[in-house]
Amino acid sequence: MASTATAPAPQPIPPSLSLPPSQFARLQPHAYLLAHLSPPASSQQPSIRANGRSPSQFRVTSANTGSLTHTNGSAVVRLGDTTAVCGVKAEILHTEDIASWSVSHSSSSSFASNKRRKLTNPTAKLGEDRTDSGDNESHIEDFSLLVPNLSLSTGCAPGLIPGAPPSALAQSMSHQILSLLHTSRLVRAEDLQIWYERPNFGPEEPEHHNESEQMDVDVEQEGSDEASIQTGEIKAFWVLYIDIMIISLAGNPFDAAWTAVLAALRDTKLPRAWWDVDNETVVCSDIVSEARKLSLWGLPIASSFGVFEADAAAGWRSVTIQDAEEERKLAEGDRKGIQRRWVLADPDGYEEGLSQERVCLVVDKPQGGDGKVFIVKMEKNGGFAVDRKELKELVDISTRRWEDINQILKQC
Amino acid sequence: MTDRRRINGPSGGTRPPVFASSIKSTTTATERPQRQRQPNELRKIFLKTGLIPSASGSSYLEFEHSASLSAARALPKSLIPPSSSLKLACTVHGPKPLPRSATFSPNLVLTTHVKYAPFAARKRKGHIRDASERDLGVHLETALRGVIVAERWPKSGLDITITILEAEDDRWWGDAPDSHDAAWGMMNVLAGCITAASAAIADARIDCLDLVAGGVAAVVVDESVDGGEPSTPRLMLDTDPAEHRSLLSACVVAYMPARDEITELWLKGDNSKASVGTDDKSLSYETLIDGAVDAARGAHSVLAEAVRESAERLAGLETGYST
Repeated sequence: MASTATAPAPQPIPPSLSLPPSQFARLQPHAYLLAHLSPPASSQQPSIRANGRSPSQFRVTSANTGSLTHTNGSAVVRLGDTTAVCGVKAEILHTEDIASWSVSHSSSSSFASNKRRKLTNPTAKLGEDRTDSGDNESHIEDFSLLVPNLSLSTGCAPGLIPGAPPSALAQSMSHQILSLLHTSRLVRAEDLQIWYERPNFGPEEPEHHNESEQMDVDVEQEGSDEASIQTGEIKAFWVLYIDIMIISLAGNPFDAAWTAVLAALRDTKLPRAWWDVDNETVVCSDIVSEARKLSLWGLPIASSFGVFEADAAAGWRSVTIQDAEEERKLAEGDRKGIQRRWVLADPDGYEEGLSQERVCLVVDKPQGGDGKVFIVKMEKNGGFAVDRKELKELVDISTRRWEDINQILKQC
Repeated sequence: MTDRRRINGPSGGTRPPVFASSIKSTTTATERPQRQRQPNELRKIFLKTGLIPSASGSSYLEFEHSASLSAARALPKSLIPPSSSLKLACTVHGPKPLPRSATFSPNLVLTTHVKYAPFAARKRKGHIRDASERDLGVHLETALRGVIVAERWPKSGLDITITILEAEDDRWWGDAPDSHDAAWGMMNVLAGCITAASAAIADARIDCLDLVAGGVAAVVVDESVDGGEPSTPRLMLDTDPAEHRSLLSACVVAYMPARDEITELWLKGDNSKASVGTDDKSLSYETLIDGAVDAARGAHSVLAEAVRESAERLAGLETGYST
């Protein structure tokens, strides 16, 4: 306990800096960043991060989509010096290849009821739809129709050995992206279904014509061919292989990767596909005008934060909840204008190494939501600096970030 | 065996989409892309260094889109791309101390690593390096080993990693796989790897004898203009395999123009058939290699420009001109 109370004060900055700043930054990273964030009152300098940003400022972000030829959708997202390339490749999963595929899945009743729901509330609000689209949406998770994989072994940073199996960081980020795709229900299961509809119009009706109507499930035709829908059957699913290569890593890979996934999915076009009875397989059309884009639910956008503590040994503190005494001291310090911790938005590689506590927020602001902000994911670990009050502020920052990214994605 | 460290797709496996137009042979809507360049004209190369700040040296290389591909991009009709153009990123880490466990080496130990992104090719690539990727790595290593002045860094290692974001096709997608088919696209990829790695090594300020550049030439057979009979074999530089009916042989070199030396030579195919009956010396292996060397000379001019930019950037940093 004694050691926790008397943590050594950060190194005082020598009055005359005999080292060039870049070397000082390497030797005393903590003191360097602290000196930037809390400049001496006499110097009249504003508190600013070592990289020249204000604490809540994100790096310059740019996105570019559709540049890779062999993908259904692709995106390059640059977040400062961090670059993520995401490619989406669609393949077909036949229901006969699914071991657990049962007759109940393809029963026409569930589909018809689904259709009816869609008919009754065509202008469904996002929030409602997400909750009651139940059974259909579970297909994505049950049959693993979305397969995101993130690769860091591209030589993106010195410590990562190329050719080695994915590091713990890469594995955890792949899983975070997967679970975020599932929980946010970004991709709609209807978009990934490939239907076969038995012709019951009469033998002379050309089959092909039938199917082309069937495939456009999103167009307002459902009412007219309700009868034919009764005999519909899912024959296959599209599986989206979402591969993210982090080409350059300079902190905050998750935001870059997620934004790249989002941009690539927005860019993704699936060809029109139908069940070919003669060949017993799924056949696609290569005509661009028949291909359709994925219709995504909302636009969840991630923003990450790191907490920098003035107390260099904070990371080594034993796990004790701060008592009232300490809290009071901190509050007092705040009143005096002495800030002891900073929440840094979009930490770069240098700052990431200095912050123990991380916060990741994913927020969405749906179109019809009257400006309401939905928190899709909230993750916080590594410390107790960020409290309810701070989290509320972070949600506001994330909302502003949402607006920015929304603009960037619209333009690309 | 599933890979526990990655997210695997459905256990039953998935199939790549089959397009109706490719199974019905009657459709003639899609045609093989035509080469619009002169036989000795190279594609433009985009080469930029220093895009990856965390590496000691880095470069990004991209080939110009072929005429058919840029047409397809401007006015998309079919979802099947007619051809593709090489895009790759290269990083150099080091020189750095070898791990303690490594045996003593008086020279710089060079490690090369080439990996395709899963979405790089028409067919999805696996996450683990396959034989062709390892092969490319070995070829790249031989090409570079002759260039680097390795005695300057005893007990050190240099890692070169190349990520291929988009690869070249081995043949036109409409063609059926052929018996004398080889991985022709790989040769273009190797040439690109050599040029990009050379730029990245220079960007990392590693001493080299010269800037080594890669070049490809091939003996090709095209359909004649009026269709029907194939034309006589011809030598072409910087071939895009998708644009030709068949490639008889191809050659890739790593070439140092200042010393007029070749550090890597890879020749595939057999053009004896092509030269039978003709006294034409223009289809011998020597001319093929000369063609590849000419292509490498072309790439070298781009390389020199990229390295000059990299040096200027460093000079700017040192004088504190740009921050």
